[in-house]
Amino acid sequence: MNAERAGGERETPARRRGQGELEAQVLSVLGEASEPVTAAWVLERLDADLSYSTVITILTRLHAKQAVTRTGRGRPVLWEPVANEAGLAALRMRRLLDKQSDRDAVLSSFVSVLSSHDEDLLRSLLAESGPDDTGAPSGRPER
Amino acid sequence: MGVFVYLPLVLPLTALPIARLAEQHLHPRRAARLLTTVAVILASCSLLCLGLLVVVGTAQLPGNPLPDGWSDDEVREAVPHDAFAGKASILALVVVTGACGSIVHRHFRFRARAHRALRGLGGADGIAVLPDATPYAYALPGSPGKVMVSTGMLASLEPAEHRALFAHERAHLAGRHHRLLLATRLAGCVNPLLWPLVGALVYSTERWADEEAARVTGDRRLTARAVGKAALVARPVPGGAVFAAFATAGPVPRRVAALLGPVPPDRGWPPALTPAGAAALVAAAGATVSALSSLNAAVALFLVLKAATPL
Repeated sequence: MNAERAGGERETPARRRGQGELEAQVLSVLGEASEPVTAAWVLERLDADLSYSTVITILTRLHAKQAVTRTGRGRPVLWEPVANEAGLAALRMRRLLDKQSDRDAVLSSFVSVLSSHDEDLLRSLLAESGPDDTGAPSGRPER
Repeated sequence: MGVFVYLPLVLPLTALPIARLAEQHLHPRRAARLLTTVAVILASCSLLCLGLLVVVGTAQLPGNPLPDGWSDDEVREAVPHDAFAGKASILALVVVTGACGSIVHRHFRFRARAHRALRGLGGADGIAVLPDATPYAYALPGSPGKVMVSTGMLASLEPAEHRALFAHERAHLAGRHHRLLLATRLAGCVNPLLWPLVGALVYSTERWADEEAARVTGDRRLTARAVGKAALVARPVPGGAVFAAFATAGPVPRRVAALLGPVPPDRGWPPALTPAGAAALVAAAGATVSALSSLNAAVALFLVLKAATPL
């Protein structure tokens, strides 16, 4: 539906987006399985009209992204998800975040890098900050 | 034009004292706004004067694209000793334009990619939790902006501390800190003398968000603990690039110490007799002189060129 509409206009971005969606679909099918499954099993349950080799391609790409694992010596190869859709988003985000210069130009990180001197200082500050540190969520200081 | 066209190029030096002192003596929100304002004014004046010098420099070049009258001998006499500076500023303007363009391009490209990666994640509260053992938390600007936090970060904090973390990131989005940071980065690109303001502003916006988080949670110590614990779990792998071994405390311990202290006073302008007050005055004076002299230079060049151009 979406891929169909976008497919006519611009070739490359639409196809790339389509790939991301297909990867997500394959992952969600894999998520339904209770054990490692074959590519044919995935193809049967996929809602898209894909060829067997396309499914293999997608699975291989997901494997390269470390989103699925492959098991089974020889044949048939069995596939298992290590991450669902959110996991895939996390993988994409990590690739983005790894480019430090780009990241620092946009994002405000919650905390910045500590030197070892900072670390000691911080530990002593936190220790001073109170004995109510031990896990009590309502750690209000008593006055 | 004379010396006035060069003054705005060096007057950013007057902003360095406030960059050093703002964090200690001003409320972080005021510090951030003051730093950004000063940076933008000084950079604009710098850029204007660079542009004027480019016009002068182009007038010296044979076959320049300017109207013929502009490269008259008269004009050259009216703008003496600018031959070298004029040509150098052509190069400088090209570099500055390229660098600023690259900053803006990378900023928006990263934002677009990050939003694409997070598509479908993040509910009505705008918080996207990413299953990732690496602890991180970021505020991603946009409309709507999103807070993205890894499960690794959430696991290392108590539930009450999560509130402080989310309040901190939301304060970044609500305060539109990315705009201040982008403006100041561009200013630092226009005139490298303004680069120290970027670091000062990064710190001020973090402190600003910390204060907001402390206000929202109503507990300064809780917020301090959240910041401290997050920094301790997020420390990089050994061998990573760490600017270690400085005698002074890094930004995170200073933030924690500030949170453990009292609420900073939110007064309008620091008293003139304090170091921060004097620094703020110096920066304000620098910005004013910079604006006046770039205006002076612009008017002078305009008059010279107007006289030289047959209409």
